[in-house]
Amino acid sequence: MLKREDWLDLARKLDWEYSYVSERDVFPEAVSGRPWLPHAAWESWDEPYRTSYAEYVSGQHGKEAAFRAVHDAVGRVHDFERLDRAWLSALKLHGATLPLAEFAAVVSNLRAVRFGRDSAWRTMANLGALDELRHTQIPLLVLHELVRWDVQFDWAHKLLHTDDWVAIAARHLVDELILTADPIELAIATNFVFETAFTNLQFVGLSAVACSVGDRMFEKMVQSIQTDEARHSQIGGPVLRTVVENDPVYAQYLVDKWFWRTWLFFAIVSGFAMDYLTPLEQRRASFKEFVEEWILDHFEGLLEEYGLARPWYWDTFVASIGTYHHMVYASAYTHRATVWFDLALPGPGERAWLREKYPDTFPLVEPVWERISARWREGGPELEWYTQGATPIGFCRLCQLVLCGGTPLSNSATVRDHAGQRYIFCSEPCAWIFEREPERYADHRDVVQRILAGNAPGNLFALIRRYFGLSEQSSGKDVAHGRYPWLERPPA
Amino acid sequence: MLIPLYGFVRGDTLGLLVLVHTGDTVQTLAASLQQAACMRVKPSQRVSVYHGGVLLAPEHTLEQLGVSALARVDLVPEPDE
Repeated sequence: MLKREDWLDLARKLDWEYSYVSERDVFPEAVSGRPWLPHAAWESWDEPYRTSYAEYVSGQHGKEAAFRAVHDAVGRVHDFERLDRAWLSALKLHGATLPLAEFAAVVSNLRAVRFGRDSAWRTMANLGALDELRHTQIPLLVLHELVRWDVQFDWAHKLLHTDDWVAIAARHLVDELILTADPIELAIATNFVFETAFTNLQFVGLSAVACSVGDRMFEKMVQSIQTDEARHSQIGGPVLRTVVENDPVYAQYLVDKWFWRTWLFFAIVSGFAMDYLTPLEQRRASFKEFVEEWILDHFEGLLEEYGLARPWYWDTFVASIGTYHHMVYASAYTHRATVWFDLALPGPGERAWLREKYPDTFPLVEPVWERISARWREGGPELEWYTQGATPIGFCRLCQLVLCGGTPLSNSATVRDHAGQRYIFCSEPCAWIFEREPERYADHRDVVQRILAGNAPGNLFALIRRYFGLSEQSSGKDVAHGRYPWLERPPA
Repeated sequence: MLIPLYGFVRGDTLGLLVLVHTGDTVQTLAASLQQAACMRVKPSQRVSVYHGGVLLAPEHTLEQLGVSALARVDLVPEPDE
């Protein structure tokens, strides 16, 4: 009987020369991606896991059995009922933004199964597609059971089928990053930047937070998913290495572009959860500390290893670690009826913690929380509308997110004219991405453009109910409806 | 003519969209912006409004000042006396 090492490469890395069709026709650049290189440039492609299909099936079967056991033990409605209301909002946010994005990754990995440039890469993409199908199904399975208890969990499946502003932004990101990306861009943007640079925030940082708040289901779910991600993220490195060798300018461009876009996504999803939606007593580290530990040091080292420079906007990125998610959270809190999860008002204890963690930047945002608190005191509990905005807001024409760049003293939004049209961007990196490929982005309409074109209602209430698809029950509220003991006392 | 403008109130956390008439004065624009941001930033009696880094005279209309659709305007509240 053959030893494993004797047969493995016949199963996972078997390429041949084409005799009746050209390699360019088998792997057209439009689908396989650029730079187009003959297979000789890719033939050293390899990754460390070298998993056979039989090993994959066996390993995944074990993970599924373990996951099922955890779900049966701690994944029922009564287990979630015990959790803090604010933490449940973190679950709703993650639950809605991730599963259908993972399903887009099934599609893009299957494209790589056919059009990836080396057979070992295609084999790994096949396992990656199966992984992503699992990552779609697991959160949908876990959260579906909770819908009958809390209708906001319905948005785990619903979000990306709506025209809520977050859905518009999420689709703008996911459609380009994952769904329609060619295998080379997918490998660099998703496997290298998104999965290698950023997902540790979720799999390590947020998993630890979930453990501390007693959410064993979420903790185990992301840990189980992480074991898959660690494997298929390995597609990115060897692809990037070949692109750096043959077209270093394009490699740097892809890294710069996707690092920024991915950063904005994680700053919101992870930043909200770590700094605002985790109960104060259970917070272990700030979002900034997680980013410094898991992104700054780690990713800078990786870039150096691959012969790449830091993105040109690195200083802007570093500055935004201490500001961006604070700006977006305060903005979202005062427009919470436009989202499907509830938000918590940071009280004196939370604000003291944030001041300690962000001594240079949180004091810039704190007056906003003082103002909102004063409005709650003035209006009284349950008067949600009195602390919410009643007019439309602006959105970045690239990332489709609210204009929350910079600081409260100096918002970084920038207006540019292109082909007779005016565009606004939340930041210089977003403007730079747009200007590199305006034909790709110029015609996409953000919420403001849809309102101005008459495709979406300008009345905020109609916008929320009819266009975003949020009902009275699913619309976001304050987690305590303004009933905070500290609010009942006059400010010191 | 009714035009949309992107407004940024100093001290606020996001950019707002306000609909104004080109015949409106800067003072009217300032009132709209302060109202739109009032749940986050306390309105101030005295404010300055800038467009492209230039201070706009409060009595002038947007049309007179050449402020066109989808432009960025910045409102800076001054401390109340």
